[in-house]
Amino acid sequence: MTEVLVVGAGLTGLFASLLAAEHGDAVTLVAQGHGGLGLCHGCIDIWGRATPSRALSRLRKSHPYRLAGTAALHAAVEFFDEITQQAKYPFSGSISRNLRLPTALGSIHPTALAPQSLAQGDLDDGTPFALAGIDNLRDFYPQLAASNLRHTGIAVQSVLELPIPLDGIRHDFSTSDLAQLFDQPNWREETARFWKPHMTGIKRLGLPAVLGLRDPQHVLEDMQQRLGVTLFEIPTLPPCLPGLRLEVILRRRALNTGVHLIEGPRAVGRIDGRSGGRRVSGVVLQTAGGPRIHTADVVILATGGILNGGIVFHQNGSVQESVFDIPVNYDEGRDCWTTASPIDSQPYSGYGIMVNDHMQTLDAKGAPIFENLYVAGGLLGGADRTMEGSRQGIDLATAYRAVEVALF
Amino acid sequence: MNPPSFTTDLCLKCNICTAACPVAAVTDLFPGPKSIGPQAERFRHPRLPMPDVSVDWCSGCGTCSRVCPHGVAVAEINILAKGRLAKERHVPVRDRIISRPEILGRIASPLATFVNASIRLRSTRWLLEKTVGISRHAPLPSFTRTPLRKLFPDRCFDTPFDVEHDIDHTVAFFHGCSNNYYEPELGGLTIAILERLGFEVVIPPQMCCGLPLQSNGLFDAARRHAQANITWLAPFAKQGIPIVGTSTSCTLMLKHDYRTILGIQGEDVEMVAGSTYDFFEFLTFFMKDEIKRIEFNSLRAHALYHPPCKLRNHGIGVPALQILRRIPELQLHLSESECCGAGGTYGMKLDKFPVAYQVGQKLFSQIHQLKLDFVICDSETCRWWIAKHTDLPVYHPLEIMARAMDIQYNLHPESKGERQ
Repeated sequence: MTEVLVVGAGLTGLFASLLAAEHGDAVTLVAQGHGGLGLCHGCIDIWGRATPSRALSRLRKSHPYRLAGTAALHAAVEFFDEITQQAKYPFSGSISRNLRLPTALGSIHPTALAPQSLAQGDLDDGTPFALAGIDNLRDFYPQLAASNLRHTGIAVQSVLELPIPLDGIRHDFSTSDLAQLFDQPNWREETARFWKPHMTGIKRLGLPAVLGLRDPQHVLEDMQQRLGVTLFEIPTLPPCLPGLRLEVILRRRALNTGVHLIEGPRAVGRIDGRSGGRRVSGVVLQTAGGPRIHTADVVILATGGILNGGIVFHQNGSVQESVFDIPVNYDEGRDCWTTASPIDSQPYSGYGIMVNDHMQTLDAKGAPIFENLYVAGGLLGGADRTMEGSRQGIDLATAYRAVEVALF
Repeated sequence: MNPPSFTTDLCLKCNICTAACPVAAVTDLFPGPKSIGPQAERFRHPRLPMPDVSVDWCSGCGTCSRVCPHGVAVAEINILAKGRLAKERHVPVRDRIISRPEILGRIASPLATFVNASIRLRSTRWLLEKTVGISRHAPLPSFTRTPLRKLFPDRCFDTPFDVEHDIDHTVAFFHGCSNNYYEPELGGLTIAILERLGFEVVIPPQMCCGLPLQSNGLFDAARRHAQANITWLAPFAKQGIPIVGTSTSCTLMLKHDYRTILGIQGEDVEMVAGSTYDFFEFLTFFMKDEIKRIEFNSLRAHALYHPPCKLRNHGIGVPALQILRRIPELQLHLSESECCGAGGTYGMKLDKFPVAYQVGQKLFSQIHQLKLDFVICDSETCRWWIAKHTDLPVYHPLEIMARAMDIQYNLHPESKGERQ
């Protein structure tokens, strides 16, 4: 049994841990806090621009998709589908064609795979729809979304503001508060009674994503049945439920498969191992009592990109990888990091770790720096995930490839 | 080490802590760790009164700091603010009483039979609720007649230099108030397991870790407790003797809160922090290979393991699971709740009880749905709380480990024959 250490508990780290644990290896997952899933829309973006399948084969050789390979992407998506099916949170869509989903701002989000509650908002589905906000829920403005959608020529039937039953002590709700209430059957029954009168003439209704956290598919079906309309959810500002649900599903399965989750401490450095320093033998964790050593045969680094702390940009213009101090591919000088227009592709978003097709980091001569260290997910350079709409696809494919090379 | 308030600038307002906070999920009275922590901290001027009192509803579970991916010391900021609030306001008599489990133990243990019997009376609980405001629905522990230190006088040492044994296989046991005054049988079991594994167990001088005082805002008293413990424990740490505890909140005080919250500095506190281990952390770290060789007896049972918040905050994962999972036929379910709600003394308070109970509901309903034989949890206050509200026995994981290793500790050896 190989001892595997995964650093980072975002989509990449959780997915890699699960793959390794279900392969039968002893997995420890270390994470400084929760990963970025709860900040994301909870869909799987693979290639946001036209015809994904053709575009993927034309990418540069250094692009993470090319390094991981198409086979890894397909195998990863298959395993992801199995996980979500078993968790009774089925996803719709495919790698070859994107769904077009409305966002909270009223823009259009092309994505490959989405949970049913989001996929039912596909703008290519001809059924007319209305949008609704919920009283006492901050940060979701259906009027704004509707007016922006209408600007792009998409018809929004009407805009509603739906009341909710207040239970006396609560008046102000976040999305996660509401979702936990929707998990309760009495709350759904009472809310449906409040909403029913507003449903006349509506076939399809878009809501902020609050329909349950623990068993969302059941909540969706139950509410649809009670209201007699097709419901779809729109991802909100964090806490964003579709992302949180994925986090809950992946964590629950990982813990039940025997993954040892060490949550909280920051990984602050590496321990060098055998073969003249070409192997890592573990990491140093900054625990409550002080630094403690954690050893492993294989280390998978999934600490994420700039936003997640995997890469640190310094005032002096240098860019550093935060745990192992592996060289980062970047441009010298802060002036080259960004372009004048904030909505264009930004050079910094392509910065990251360069790897070979085994997901191993490379030194200046192109040889692996550490034989047993693999890098996956947002930490990898060579892709502008925002412009490509490729974030989750890269996470899954590279995690799969790293585990495949290291363990299978 | 920077003061916790320095970390406010690291906050991206991502709301991960708000989504994870067990208290904010059930009440409006607490607006959530982000609002009350890194956000409100900017309005807390050192020389002006506290602008907002809602921080008092924080149960101190520490979930927010653990889930923060950016290193914001959210819980620490809130506990310090709670301390300031307590200093500005009047600390109720009740809080001054329940925050001193050691003094209560010292007074009550000689009268244990009488005290235990009267605590169990409904009328006493009614009176305690009406007079001082201790909820009658909250569990109160039973006192023991013979504290752990009296049961093991030959293992109590004032300094490590009195120990004439193999220092490499010596462990200093930080028993805390609970093992001493409420559950000496658990302390006895701890010693028995460690001795079976080949360690010499010594009991250094010690007093209450000070957490209940700190949680109730009595920082000066907490600091006095901390200083005394550091003075007593540092010589053991400096000899390279690991300090091992079974109460996860006490060991977290030694590891973390003394430095970060009470602001104690110096070589001694650092030595103590670095030498302190949770019982199972110690076993899985120092005895990794030995543990793998132990052949546990099978234990045919359905159990749920709920790792307490304070254990999770050690940043060591859940080491007990690595041992529990090896016990044949033990069907282990994992808790899906961040917190049981007890929050140490939080759930005992009449005003806080409804919130604490609401927090616990998620765990209680998971427990009820599973049809379990028992529940497993490390922290004593959590165990008492879960047992009271689920009517199931709740064991420390080391009790289960002992059972699977055929290790017993009998508090009353004289009555051994009668029981068998």
